[in-house]
Amino acid sequence: MPRSPGTRLKPAKYIPVATAAALLVGSSTLFFVFTCPWLTRAVSPAVPVYNGIIFLFVLANFSMATFMDPGVFPRADEDEDKEDDFRAPLYKNVDVRGIQVRMKWCATCHFYRPPRCSHCSVCDNCVEDFDHHCPWVNNCIGRRNYRYFFLFLLSLSAHMVGVVAFGLVYVLNHAEGLGAAHTTITMAVMCVAGLFFIPVIGLTGFHVVLVTRGRTTNEQVTGKFRGGVNPFTRGCYGNVEHVLCSPLAPRYVVEPPRLPLAARLKPPFLRPELLERAAPLKVKLSDNGLKAGLGRSKVPGPDSLTLGEDSIHSLDFASEPSLDLPDYTPGGLHAAYPPSPPLSAADTFSGALRSLSLKAASRRGGDHVALQPLRSEGGPPTPHRSIFAPHALPNRNGSLSYDSLLNPGSPSGHTCPAHPSAGMASYRSPYLHPGAVGDPPRPPPRSFSPVLGPRPREPSPVRYDNLSRTIMASIQERKDREERERLLRSQADSLFGDSGVYDAPSSYSLQQASALSEGPRGPSLRYGSRDDLVAGPGFGGARNPALQTSLSSLSSAVSRAPRTSSSSLQADLANNNAPGPRPGSGSHRSPVRQGPPSPPSTPRSPSYAGPKAVAFIHTDLPESPPSLAMQRGRIGTCSRGWGRRGQPRVPPGLHLCHLGLPEDRPPLRAPWSPASRAPPRGAMCRLHSAASSLFPGLSGPERDTK
Amino acid sequence: MQLECKTYSRDYGSEEVGQGLETESSASLVHNLQELRRSASLATKVFIQRDYSDGTICQFQTKFPPELDSRIERQLFEETVKTLNSFYAEAEKIGGSSYLEGCLACATAYFIFLCMETHYEKVLKKISRYIQEQNEKIFAPRGLLLTDPVERGMRVVSFLAVLCKGPELPTGGFLGEDTQK
Repeated sequence: MPRSPGTRLKPAKYIPVATAAALLVGSSTLFFVFTCPWLTRAVSPAVPVYNGIIFLFVLANFSMATFMDPGVFPRADEDEDKEDDFRAPLYKNVDVRGIQVRMKWCATCHFYRPPRCSHCSVCDNCVEDFDHHCPWVNNCIGRRNYRYFFLFLLSLSAHMVGVVAFGLVYVLNHAEGLGAAHTTITMAVMCVAGLFFIPVIGLTGFHVVLVTRGRTTNEQVTGKFRGGVNPFTRGCYGNVEHVLCSPLAPRYVVEPPRLPLAARLKPPFLRPELLERAAPLKVKLSDNGLKAGLGRSKVPGPDSLTLGEDSIHSLDFASEPSLDLPDYTPGGLHAAYPPSPPLSAADTFSGALRSLSLKAASRRGGDHVALQPLRSEGGPPTPHRSIFAPHALPNRNGSLSYDSLLNPGSPSGHTCPAHPSAGMASYRSPYLHPGAVGDPPRPPPRSFSPVLGPRPREPSPVRYDNLSRTIMASIQERKDREERERLLRSQADSLFGDSGVYDAPSSYSLQQASALSEGPRGPSLRYGSRDDLVAGPGFGGARNPALQTSLSSLSSAVSRAPRTSSSSLQADLANNNAPGPRPGSGSHRSPVRQGPPSPPSTPRSPSYAGPKAVAFIHTDLPESPPSLAMQRGRIGTCSRGWGRRGQPRVPPGLHLCHLGLPEDRPPLRAPWSPASRAPPRGAMCRLHSAASSLFPGLSGPERDTK
Repeated sequence: MQLECKTYSRDYGSEEVGQGLETESSASLVHNLQELRRSASLATKVFIQRDYSDGTICQFQTKFPPELDSRIERQLFEETVKTLNSFYAEAEKIGGSSYLEGCLACATAYFIFLCMETHYEKVLKKISRYIQEQNEKIFAPRGLLLTDPVERGMRVVSFLAVLCKGPELPTGGFLGEDTQK
């Protein structure tokens, strides 16, 4: 029973299989012990031999059906779906023998599901030629083990028929002494067999029909070919032959978890001094705009502090290459966010942590458990958290570490923490980020995956080349940051500060978007421009049908809302499965994205980075003007790589957070933000100010005290 | 997609080869390929998707991707993909050997799988040897690396167009956006 990595042992799911095994073995043993001896004498010695062979066959097929990998597809690497970004449709058509078959994008596995493949929610895997998930064997039935399952059914039916028939012979011949032990036991065995006779025979018959028609249970039950032609059929004989005689397909999932990160990324990321530095930080968790309807319990001070620490610690883990978050305590992370303080540092931490855990969780070897609780937490917090994450992260580890390493005395050139470029650089590795999309010399994964949240992925080992590179990247990041800081100092005039924390995310996302826009991939708008993204109908078949719906409910301007925006935010929601307590005001965000296409969250291969990550564009910004849909479509991001263009030239008075083409951008604001207007240009976003206040040592542009 | 790639790989190879004997050259070449593979994050990746026109049998599209236009001849590419397709067809063929294997497996209550390699696995080994060989002979000199589709669940074949690894930080852009400075 191949399990997706990190699944916690749930005893409840083993009950049916244990029951089935117990009944099978128990009843058959009783039959052999109590009934067969007489049958051997009275009828023939062939009886137990025949029954024994059938029973062995049943057991063997049962074991194969239970323990064999059904044909699980491994998760696709980030680099593979860079083409299939959130702008790509939810469905892709492919022609199979002249018939159009729809391939759906799998948000969990990040590829378009091949025909006949389906994602099993129990196993959380895409399975090739998915038939169904059988609780009696506690396994999916797919390409590789369908034959064994079918043979199990056939042999079990034969076995049951045999047991009932021979039991009947025995009972009829011992009718006079029905109270005798042997007879009673035989009758009990016959009852058990008789009880399951009808269901098993029925299921067997059903599968015989399916096999001859060349359909899977999934296709039959969902009525895919009802009234139509099945393009996968090979004719009756061909289908039977295919099921019974085709070669055993290979396993795709490679068992040994590849976690090179642990080995490779260590040095820059594990900074004990950072931990020490970070630990005493009093992290005040604000609920960051999630308050509305989130139903989060408010956690009083000490808890928040604890949470912060947990986050920090968790973040530590997160920063570690292994990203397994072994000590991750989901509970701690989401203790809840007291609504009060504007400080979003805690949020960032938790966000980072969450994203990290999500990321880790989603991958083999990741802690799936961690993922679950996170998901249950509900959507909105996550994206926001993740938005802030970058701020926190760099402060926390990467940039700090570099700062401490390279510049121990000086305040880190930590411009508006919003540009955790350096931090991100260090953070980068876990996310692989692609940040470098378009950020050639600066690899910094500006697209920190924490931001993306919903798309946690285990970076392919291939991406993390060596430490030196990351170190150099970090150094580059630092230089960039310092340069930006210089720019900011010269230019920053007004500060952000009005809308408070709640605005931060939006501004941040904006910033991110803009930063991304700086990214090299200008023309190749990956996730980019709002209008590109949205094209309502153009969405058609968007991977995010739910989003589409929700979007349509928004204002027309919003309709442009990037798929991404929802995507990143929503993806989280969707992933989290917790659209439930969506804040009313923030409801725009809430639509659950069924399939966040390529969720913006994760860092993609270097070529990709930014776009996906960014998606924090709030969909419901009422005034997302067409101008937003700039060609490059990137809405400003604070810390994104500058791409080919190098650092953006920051207009005077413009806060770095609003880099990009600020004049094109309407102020984005979070729907929930109390302020009704966007922060003034040039103001430091709340996030940055929060982060700055959190890390006073890090100099940055003047900021509003928050 | 620059010539530097080719130069890089060649230089790298020659350094290694220069030191060793002829017998070591293949090892070093393999090492180079591994290096290339490791630096895949730097690489442009071109994916060749499965061709489902004949159902779910394993086949890859032979359509020549435009991104490889400058790097490899069309005919070479097609030949490689066609050979791969034929290997997979052979692996999935329902014929004498698969019958025998099935019967034997049944007869031994599937314990035979513990000892024996299935037909498909044998062909997969053949395929990876073939891919390795193709990489060494044809693709690496062109700065490309063909990955084994089985790594990705046979959904896609990827060509990594490895860019030069230099002191600069990798960009890993797609379609060569991240060219080296």
